[in-house]
Amino acid sequence: MSIIQAQNIKKTYNADTIPVHALNAINLNVEEGEFTAIVGPSGCGKTTLLNILGGLDDATQGSVEIDGTTITDMRDSDLIDFRLNNIGFVFQSYNLIPVLTTKENVEFVMLLQKQGDKARQSRAMELLKEMGIADKADKRPSELSGGQQQRVAVARALASKPKFVLADEPTANLDSQSTKDLLDIMAKLNKEEGITFVFSTHDQRVIDRARRIVYLDDGKIINDVTVSK
Amino acid sequence: MLLKISWRNVWRNKSRSLIVISSIAVGVWALVAGTGFMNGFMVSYISDSITYNTSNIQVHHTKFSADKDINIFISNASEKTAHLGQIPGVTGATKRVIVNGMIASAKKASGVEIRGIDVENEQQVTHLDSALIDGAYFEGIKRNPVLIGSKLAEELNVKIRSKIVLTFSDSEGEMISGAFRVVGIIKVSAVNLNEFTAIVRDSDIQPLLGIGNNYHEIAAVTETQIDEQQIISEYESTYKEDLVQDWKEIAPELAYASDMFANMLYILMGVILTALIFGIVNTMLMAVLERIKELGMLMAVGMVKSKVFLMILVETIFLGMVGTPIGLLLGYLNVRYYQDRGVDLTEYSEGLEAFGYSSQLFPYLESSVYITVSIGVFITTIIAAAYPAYKAISLKPVEALHKI
Repeated sequence: MSIIQAQNIKKTYNADTIPVHALNAINLNVEEGEFTAIVGPSGCGKTTLLNILGGLDDATQGSVEIDGTTITDMRDSDLIDFRLNNIGFVFQSYNLIPVLTTKENVEFVMLLQKQGDKARQSRAMELLKEMGIADKADKRPSELSGGQQQRVAVARALASKPKFVLADEPTANLDSQSTKDLLDIMAKLNKEEGITFVFSTHDQRVIDRARRIVYLDDGKIINDVTVSK
Repeated sequence: MLLKISWRNVWRNKSRSLIVISSIAVGVWALVAGTGFMNGFMVSYISDSITYNTSNIQVHHTKFSADKDINIFISNASEKTAHLGQIPGVTGATKRVIVNGMIASAKKASGVEIRGIDVENEQQVTHLDSALIDGAYFEGIKRNPVLIGSKLAEELNVKIRSKIVLTFSDSEGEMISGAFRVVGIIKVSAVNLNEFTAIVRDSDIQPLLGIGNNYHEIAAVTETQIDEQQIISEYESTYKEDLVQDWKEIAPELAYASDMFANMLYILMGVILTALIFGIVNTMLMAVLERIKELGMLMAVGMVKSKVFLMILVETIFLGMVGTPIGLLLGYLNVRYYQDRGVDLTEYSEGLEAFGYSSQLFPYLESSVYITVSIGVFITTIIAAAYPAYKAISLKPVEALHKI
């Protein structure tokens, strides 16, 4: 079953002056439980595609359906609510809230979902355990390594029980060991809990672990490969 | 958690927050202290005028005030004075003879209002004995003693026991003069009393005027927090034929001064709080601009714009909530310190006294001012937060997230 259906996505910047076509007629379906990497050189449109799939950016043309709901014509306020309940985000530079502890950062999205105190706290601790950083629950992000911060970011992305997680270059700022640890965790979550992950990356270590690789160049999908492992 | 985030955000950049908190505290302190000092001037101006000059309530014949005809008396003045004095809230009442005339010394003559007072009762009302700077309160001179203000004494070039002549029209319209001796010299801030009034015994002036045992004025003082109108109604329920006025009607300039002061408080508050708005807007704008990426993330993961707006608003209110009590406390301590000791403005006494102000300033503030200032700062922080908060919610998450 397709959880993401993107049809004929076009994105043009500076349409009124010198148009730059970032995405050109992209069609992409992502099935539930996939572990997909969108790869390509810098400036090929990976992040733009991820932003449009996540409802963070508008497509100039085309439509995106998430689990049967078209998000491309949603109002801003509805889209914020939709993102909260359906999509998990992991950003390249972690983007944790520096004034909150690790546990509070994970709890934050559940708070936005108006979940009760106890439910929030137990799920946050459960996720931190899963990420192997339960002992860092009371630390602030500035007290954690890059790898640990990114694991908190993954825990935060999963906290709201989203339909899928979009990760924009999640390993770009990590060393080899941290990258391996993070990929192990995400692969485990994908395999054992069936969580759908879509990455944008040009990191070979991530590409090596992906089970589907979508090659993007110059705003177009040039190859779409499913890897049997 | 929104409150927790906001509170911790306030302390993210301690020095910047402390600067804006200090500016709020200094602004509030200046406002409270400034208001206290202004209020001190006004309260002493009004209370001196009431205490020594107008009293809280005056009773006249309805036709007397128009041209002060000495043949228009209050009927049964003694009985009415006693009645007024017994109304709850009235602390003293006295009756007076009032006549306009001339006062002349060997050197100079001047126009004055001559008050013939009931010496004992008058003390309960105007406390003139407490304003004496020379001589005694109708003691030491048996025949025709007169009490005058220091400014008038200076102008006439007279001192204690100096002889002066009061000239006025009697009840028949004939000019009549009486020789008096200065028994005491008073000094009060009320210009009228200091410069244009001669106070004599009723028993000395009544025979000269030929008005028998009649009086033109009854004056009463009340407890501080009493509404004079209640007492006036009570009096009028028994005696309907007289004109009964409170101090605001007797001396409208005092009422205008009081209203003007209230408006000046708001003007002063407006000026200081407007200056604060710019300081707070600047700080909060910086706080927003350096957190663009984070704000983008908050909106990306599902924080609605109203909550982002509220978060910035609450951060600003927190700044105000820390700065305001400090400023209020400093202001309170400042006012309290000088409230008992007073501020000596003798250096400027000549100018101040010309306008009826005392040269000794005792700052004073009612507790309502602290509440008004707090509400004013609260509203200011909300206004100041609006623009930075609007800037925050105007961000597009995707653009904010990729801001370097």
